[in-house]
Amino acid sequence: MNSQAITQPNAQMLLDIKDLRIWYRTTRGNAQAVDGVDLVINRNEIFGLAGESGCGKTTLARGVLGMTKLPGYVESGEAIYYHPVSDSSVVGRDLLTLPAREMRQMRWRHIAYVPQGAMNVLSPVLRIEKQILDAIYEHSDLSKEEARARMFECMEMVGLDRTVARMYPHELSGGMKQRVTIAAAISLKPGLIIADEPTTALDVNVQQVILQELKDIAASLGVTLIYVTHDMAVHAEMADRLGIMYSGLIVEVASVVEAFKEPLHPYSQGLIASIPMIGGDRSRMVGIPGNAPSPLAWPSGCRFHPRCPKVMEICRDKVPPMLEVAPGRFVACHLYPTPMSGAAPASEELN
Amino acid sequence: MRKLLRKYPVLGYYFNKVFTYFVTIFGALTITFFMFRLIPSNPIQNWVMSLERQYSVTIEGGDAMINRYKEQFGLTGTLWDQYVGYLRQLILKGDLGPSFIAFPTPVQDLMIAAIPWTIALLSVSIIISWSLGLLIGSTAAWFRDKSVSDIITNVSIGLSQVPSYLIALFLVLFLGYQWKLLPTRGAFDAQYQIGWNLDFIRSVIAHSFLPALAIVMVSLSGWILSTRSLVISNIGEDYLIYAEAKGLKPRKIMIGYALRNAMLPQATGLALTMGSMVSGQLLIESMFVYPGLGQVMSRAIAIFDYNTMMGIIILSVVSVMTASLIVDLLLPAIDPRIRTAIKA
Ligand SMILES: Nc1ncnc2c1ncn2[C@@H]1O[C@H](COP(=O)(O)OP(=O)(O)OP(=O)(O)O)[C@@H](O)[C@H]1O
Ligand SMILES: [Mg+2]
Repeated sequence: MNSQAITQPNAQMLLDIKDLRIWYRTTRGNAQAVDGVDLVINRNEIFGLAGESGCGKTTLARGVLGMTKLPGYVESGEAIYYHPVSDSSVVGRDLLTLPAREMRQMRWRHIAYVPQGAMNVLSPVLRIEKQILDAIYEHSDLSKEEARARMFECMEMVGLDRTVARMYPHELSGGMKQRVTIAAAISLKPGLIIADEPTTALDVNVQQVILQELKDIAASLGVTLIYVTHDMAVHAEMADRLGIMYSGLIVEVASVVEAFKEPLHPYSQGLIASIPMIGGDRSRMVGIPGNAPSPLAWPSGCRFHPRCPKVMEICRDKVPPMLEVAPGRFVACHLYPTPMSGAAPASEELN
Repeated sequence: MRKLLRKYPVLGYYFNKVFTYFVTIFGALTITFFMFRLIPSNPIQNWVMSLERQYSVTIEGGDAMINRYKEQFGLTGTLWDQYVGYLRQLILKGDLGPSFIAFPTPVQDLMIAAIPWTIALLSVSIIISWSLGLLIGSTAAWFRDKSVSDIITNVSIGLSQVPSYLIALFLVLFLGYQWKLLPTRGAFDAQYQIGWNLDFIRSVIAHSFLPALAIVMVSLSGWILSTRSLVISNIGEDYLIYAEAKGLKPRKIMIGYALRNAMLPQATGLALTMGSMVSGQLLIESMFVYPGLGQVMSRAIAIFDYNTMMGIIILSVVSVMTASLIVDLLLPAIDPRIRTAIKA
């Protein structure tokens, strides 16, 4: 297996996405939905992936799972997943070039997915237990009793009653369905769970409870979680680190505390400034002017430049590289050409 | 009663369906009866005249004879009297009246002799066609990006446009006459003893092969195309993405999820097709001179034997209605959503 040859740059690294491009062929040209994503996910963290609708979050998540569907295709890039095969050795494998069969075996066993639109992900004609158990049987040698015991254990962790196992999806509330998908996702104790806007369809109170549960479970099982949503308030609550995506690119990565306290990229600043604060000054709720660009033709240079309040001459022609401007802080913006010292020049008026 | 209903709400649903079933059958029976009486044709007159022509005699007292026959065929009195008489005979004695095509054999005896052949031939071919159609149709849907799927789809569309008699004709021509592989007429060789002996059974199977093949070829494309579009309409559904994310084998996703969800309408379709089989393949049965109901029907149509025609039509109505009643009664067991809807 050629994947054996990939050596892990550091022991904390779980997933290393390099210059990933996933495009959709359309009659009007290629929609470059994910176009040059560089991203590192560390072991045992909750990584929040933020960005407005259409920026390519779902395309990226499914791409990593090897589930890119026509007319989409992987144009280029790597997504190397490091998973321990024993106590001492770790195998890194490029998820994008794995043979279909091996990729299928990776899914759920190592990388579980809670898809967008959890209301409809369960087949309406099958009992809940069947839909949890089939994945367990597929990826393990557990006996019938062991598998059921595992299922009940996971259902208990998300606060589901045993009787739910015998029910059909339409008999469950939205929150219960969401819990089922979480129970199913943890049933094989995967290394990574990618949750794509799992709670957007739920009401705020239920969402709160489920988020907390998910967070606790991730911590207690030692699962890494990639949590995808455009809802910045959720990220503030959930994430350890935050990645801001814009127009098929990651434009900023920082710890969630730093990202909220002092966002560097003008797009991040706009996103964070537009979070409605309870009891806050309403006049401060500024959105980002202009519309998201079309993936059929990204703007030249920095893709954010047509909407950027701090646009400079260089932004129109030159693509800003992703730089580590401070330890653990990455940003792709011409405002930060070199590692910073002290406060960011762009964030004064936000404080 | 009310307590029972509250305890088992599904009973109310069943009662409703059974009630509708009887009302519909009664209505269909009535409509059929009056339709045939209102068609301006006098089969008895025709019949007596043709007898006269055949034997080149003038039957003495032809009118008297006609009247006697009219009585036998229940054609005397007002329309209302005739209707009540027909119903009384049918319901009390199970008597559908005498037939013309094999006078004086009663219609029900003709039908009872023909039914086993039709049921044997059609149920086997329908089930084969249905299973094959589901399998091929879902495969075509699943591999919709591959050329196999296009080939299956186009061939099916082409086949669905070929009239059934052409298909039967080709089979008779090539497999029957040209290559002499299989018998093309009747249901068995007259030389064998009818009963449970090997020669007879072998002969029955050989004789049913071509008509069965014809029926499968005629109906297969429909099942393929409908299954394909049902499964395709499911593809992209979130639960299939989810099943794939679970790392299930593609075959399992196709059968356990995609096909399972398309199954409900197709199972209903199967039941209804089964119900309509007694009148289903008139043309093919007569082309292969197969002694089933279809053949009886086509002989009856030829001389406007309305008693026989009515008998077969009533049987078709009853069997279609029964099939759909069975579907309705079984649906709560198959589809969990209906069960809940009833409870609410
Ligand atoms: N099948 C497709 N064909 C063509 N373009 C597509 C297809 N699927 C997605 N796209 C385009 O790719 C871009 C990214 O879509 P994606 O669903 O990944 O966005 P997202 O960030 O998940 O959005 P949301 O927050 O609405 O879920 C969009 O501009 C969309 O128009
Ligand atoms: Mg999305």
